[in-house]
Amino acid sequence: MAIDHECSCSKNPLVPTLCKVIDVKQETPDVQTYTIQTVDGKKPFSPLPGQLAMISLLGVGEAMFSITAQGDDYIQSSIKRTGLLTEAFHEMQPGQQIGVRGPYGNHFPIDDFKGKDILFIGGGIGIAPVRSLIRYCLEHREDFGHLDILYGARSMNDICFKEDCLENWPKAPDTNVYITTDVPSEGWDGHVGFVPSYIEEVGFKPENKKVALCGPPIMITLSSASLLKMGFKKEDVITTLELRMKCGIGKCGRCNIGSKFVCLDGPVFSLAELDELPDEK
Amino acid sequence: MKFKKTDLNEVLKTLAREYTVFAPIVENEEKKFMPWAESKDVEMEGLNTIKPPKDVLFPNVEKMYRYKMGLEGFIEEIFPEDTKRILFGIRPCDMRSIDSMDKVFLTKEYVDSYYAKRRDDATIVAFGCTEAGRTCFCESMGLNPNDAPSADVMMNVSADGEDYVLEARTEKGEELVKKLEGLITDGGEAKKDTKCSLVINKAEDLDKKLAKMFEHPIWDKVTKGCIGCGTCTFVCPTCYCFDIDSENYGAEGCKYRCWDSCMFSDYTRLAGGANPRPTKKERLRNRYMHKLSYFNERYGETLCVGCGRCVEKCPAHLDISEFIEKASAAELGKEDK
Ligand SMILES: Cc1cc2nc3c(=O)[nH]c(=O)nc-3n(C[C@H](O)[C@H](O)[C@H](O)COP(=O)(O)OP(=O)(O)OC[C@H]3O[C@@H](n4cnc5c(N)ncnc54)[C@H](O)[C@@H]3O)c2cc1C
Ligand code: SF4
Ligand code: SF4
Ligand code: FES
Repeated sequence: MAIDHECSCSKNPLVPTLCKVIDVKQETPDVQTYTIQTVDGKKPFSPLPGQLAMISLLGVGEAMFSITAQGDDYIQSSIKRTGLLTEAFHEMQPGQQIGVRGPYGNHFPIDDFKGKDILFIGGGIGIAPVRSLIRYCLEHREDFGHLDILYGARSMNDICFKEDCLENWPKAPDTNVYITTDVPSEGWDGHVGFVPSYIEEVGFKPENKKVALCGPPIMITLSSASLLKMGFKKEDVITTLELRMKCGIGKCGRCNIGSKFVCLDGPVFSLAELDELPDEK
Repeated sequence: MKFKKTDLNEVLKTLAREYTVFAPIVENEEKKFMPWAESKDVEMEGLNTIKPPKDVLFPNVEKMYRYKMGLEGFIEEIFPEDTKRILFGIRPCDMRSIDSMDKVFLTKEYVDSYYAKRRDDATIVAFGCTEAGRTCFCESMGLNPNDAPSADVMMNVSADGEDYVLEARTEKGEELVKKLEGLITDGGEAKKDTKCSLVINKAEDLDKKLAKMFEHPIWDKVTKGCIGCGTCTFVCPTCYCFDIDSENYGAEGCKYRCWDSCMFSDYTRLAGGANPRPTKKERLRNRYMHKLSYFNERYGETLCVGCGRCVEKCPAHLDISEFIEKASAAELGKEDK
């Protein structure tokens, strides 16, 4: 007797596809962006904005990363060096073979965003998931209203995706870009200050606007407080969570907050949804 | 249907011709489920095994794939073969645990291929308890120690104590019983009057009540003695968390998964040292909540089956049955909304 499977996958979901890194880009002193293809030159899969990939450096380890961009025959992830595994990722050269499985998790609610103005807020490496959404909105420009992009990095050197932030996005139609750095740095004549205060300083209006907010936990907490103070509703502020993950498919039990598994039910949640979860973020 | 108790070995021998038969076997004074052989000492009755039979479907360590590193690498799935097996004589609490595992591994978008294969290949003969251990409280959790509704075959001792009475409940079960032709006769009345030793007062809607008790002071008290050893999760038939790791031999290696425990401090630790569950209070709270509330919310049933194993084995004498009673009786404070 066969057991009734409720299945959306045709193959073993825990076995990665063999892929290769075709390009390595040094974004900042501790962030690199990898362009990834299957070994036979194809796109590994087509993620929606905000979805994740479990990337393994065979023999070293495996971890979850946002998919920051995609093209016809590649996906891209940006990895910040923070420990043993990511250290090893940073040793990779083009041609390096890796294992990739995914796409995992839910995605930014693009349908709810349609017809609305959008405020994108990123802090540090948190700009990586936001970038997948910005790229989506720019590719489907007519579906969305006015776009504001606010990004904070530690210093000028720490700005990720400099080409996008400083050249491409400011030129995009009906789009304003606000970049700030935590500390002054030589050659930087832009804004200096932390993200939450910059949000208030610019004074974004909450009417007909959705917010995508990603970054380190403390920045999310303070920025959320600022946005709520400015009249944004919790339903309209969408953020992402980061918990330790192993399986990525809601089985291993690792990433729960209450009855939700962040790898499957997340990582994208509105502030209203987060309110419903126990305080263990 | 029934067969003579004295024919038990004959029955097992017949089944073992076609399947690997996991039966409750006593070895070095400990009873556990292991592959039957004629020389083994089977003990159907008496108390349940200390270790649950979950590793037959979800091994403690399971290889997932082989790989080669470097520029000319490969990834090659390792899939369990020859898993046609019978789990013979598991108790109703352990059968009910497998129902929960099925929900985890076979539903909610992804099917776990390894588990699905083992599960598909397994036929389960459950056996009604004839004796309850001092920490058995399955009845209080809504189970019946005499009956396992989802088993392929239900087996009980007969009223006169001479036979084992069988009832095939699924296709798989009927297939199994067919193989016993000649050993089996019609009729037989099952004795189904075993009672749990431990009866606890559990609130009907404890799952919903607990959902409001995340910040309740009860957690400070009940989590006090825990030493974070992980014994409770190891012996629990419904604990299914796993870790994924690898082992290298030169340029090649193997990825495997193994049981993990949410009671360990590094379970949720992030790069840089931040940990959403920094102390044993948060960890034990998560374990109890998962068993008694979160799982209900996600899968519609409680994840503690009342087998009493963790109560029996915890070196610090923590007792989930006692917690269930305390939480059921607890007053909700203003903050517990
Ligand atoms: C939903 C999600 C999206 C993410 N997106 C990105 C991204 O786009 N770019 C990026 O640079 N990082 C991202 N991360 C974080 C990244 O997974 C961790 O930085 C990385 O696992 C830490 O590895 P390490 O070498 O620093 O730590 P080590 O000390 O080597 O950690 C070993 C293991 O710990 C686990 N681990 C430790 N910290 C984390 C963590 N924060 N999250 C998950 N697992 C962890 C991993 O399993 C890792 O294999 C994301 C994490 C999650 C959960
Ligand atoms: S067995 Fe007892 S002491 Fe050990 S982790 Fe579980 S509750 Fe804590
Ligand atoms: S929590 Fe304890 S009593 Fe409940 S099923 Fe697990 S081991 Fe048995
Ligand atoms: S990573 Fe395994 S359940 Fe989420």
